[in-house]
Amino acid sequence: MNPKLHSVLTINGERRDVLAPASATLLDALRSVLGLTGTKRGCNHGVCGACTVLLDGKLARACLTLAADVGERAVVTIEGIGGNGGLSPVQRALVEHGAIQCGFCTPGVVIALSELFARDPRPDRGAIRGALSGNLCRCSGYAKIVEAAERLAGEAR
Amino acid sequence: MSALARLHRPATVEEAVRLLAGGDGERTRLLAGGATLVAMLNAGLVDPAELVSLAAVDELRGIGTLPDGGLRIGAMTRHRETAADVRLAGTLAVLREAAARIANPVVRNMGTIGGSISFADPAADYPPALVAADAAVEIAGPQGRRRVPAREFFVDWYATALGPNEMVTAILLAPRAPGLGSYDKLYRVAGDYAIVSVALSVAWRDGACARAGLAVGGCGPRPLHLDEADELLRAGRLGAQAARRAGELLAAAADPLDDVRASAAYRRRVIPRMVERALAAARDELSRTA
Repeated sequence: MNPKLHSVLTINGERRDVLAPASATLLDALRSVLGLTGTKRGCNHGVCGACTVLLDGKLARACLTLAADVGERAVVTIEGIGGNGGLSPVQRALVEHGAIQCGFCTPGVVIALSELFARDPRPDRGAIRGALSGNLCRCSGYAKIVEAAERLAGEAR
Repeated sequence: MSALARLHRPATVEEAVRLLAGGDGERTRLLAGGATLVAMLNAGLVDPAELVSLAAVDELRGIGTLPDGGLRIGAMTRHRETAADVRLAGTLAVLREAAARIANPVVRNMGTIGGSISFADPAADYPPALVAADAAVEIAGPQGRRRVPAREFFVDWYATALGPNEMVTAILLAPRAPGLGSYDKLYRVAGDYAIVSVALSVAWRDGACARAGLAVGGCGPRPLHLDEADELLRAGRLGAQAARRAGELLAAAADPLDDVRASAAYRRRVIPRMVERALAAARDELSRTA
């Protein structure tokens, strides 16, 4: 019953061995096996967005992805967004504009906005709101998150 | 704790079917995008012993053009791809609009058309769109491949025409015709399942309606569709009177439930309004473009 499976995952550019039950999600593997706890576990059924990561540059819910089904896709988590311990432009914008309250949704928000800015450096308000539509902020701090993203988009203009 | 012991990653449809047939009945499940199955697994609502992931089956990926000009949407095509494909225009735009209304961008990037229709939630967005567009579903099983019209694929609450050890491999669409397709849904919050949804596909030629397909979602065990309503709309050239009558017929035939989203009585009241609204928008679009 419930034997562990071995997978080799590429996470933030590094090859990592993961030994986890077959039912382990990528979220379980990140947090419990690899100690990468920046990716948050909120609803665990794909609704809240706190566990959002990038798989081959595309947005994915870590809680809806089985670790053993990731295969060759490269995973980027919040720990891999900044690089060298620094902040990415999205992270800096959120900090500078006070777009953080309790912070639980922030990793998912950063990933969602990073994906948006990677494909569109100057998104308008509609595109920003659309990109954030899969991320719940229980503090209801949306206005400042959107404003921070708009400022970042403005800097690119 | 989950009993899941194995996760297979076959490279072909035939291998996937063999693994499914070699498994222990309901204890072996197919895994597509994971948007529904992994959520259910996390919640302990399903407890498979083996999963057959379709992630590595190349044949199931993407949207291709068929020799007759129709389209083949592979079962593992993500909602995001379907929502962005410009070939889904004219009569086939209904499918693109439905795909764009599913959940949120992240889920659209994970969920697949094959997974969605195999789960067959009658409040989901694809079922009425496929019925309106009169699509066909390609199925693979131990006996080979077969095709089932979408209008016969959805048979009951969360139940399809898939037999034991069968899987959806593609959606097949006849070549698009000039006209329009639209998908509208009434919802509590954007991205939620429909309270009531209306899918419409209309072929329009020389000022006349060559074909109309209308289906309602969220109002019973399967997408609600009546040949009689389609014929009324076609013969009545999508006019207001035909729209009203079609809406009344569909409301009378609906078998909705009371659920967390709305009461059955509310849904029955809303169906004709939604149908009339969809047809008014269609007339408006045709008057501008046709």
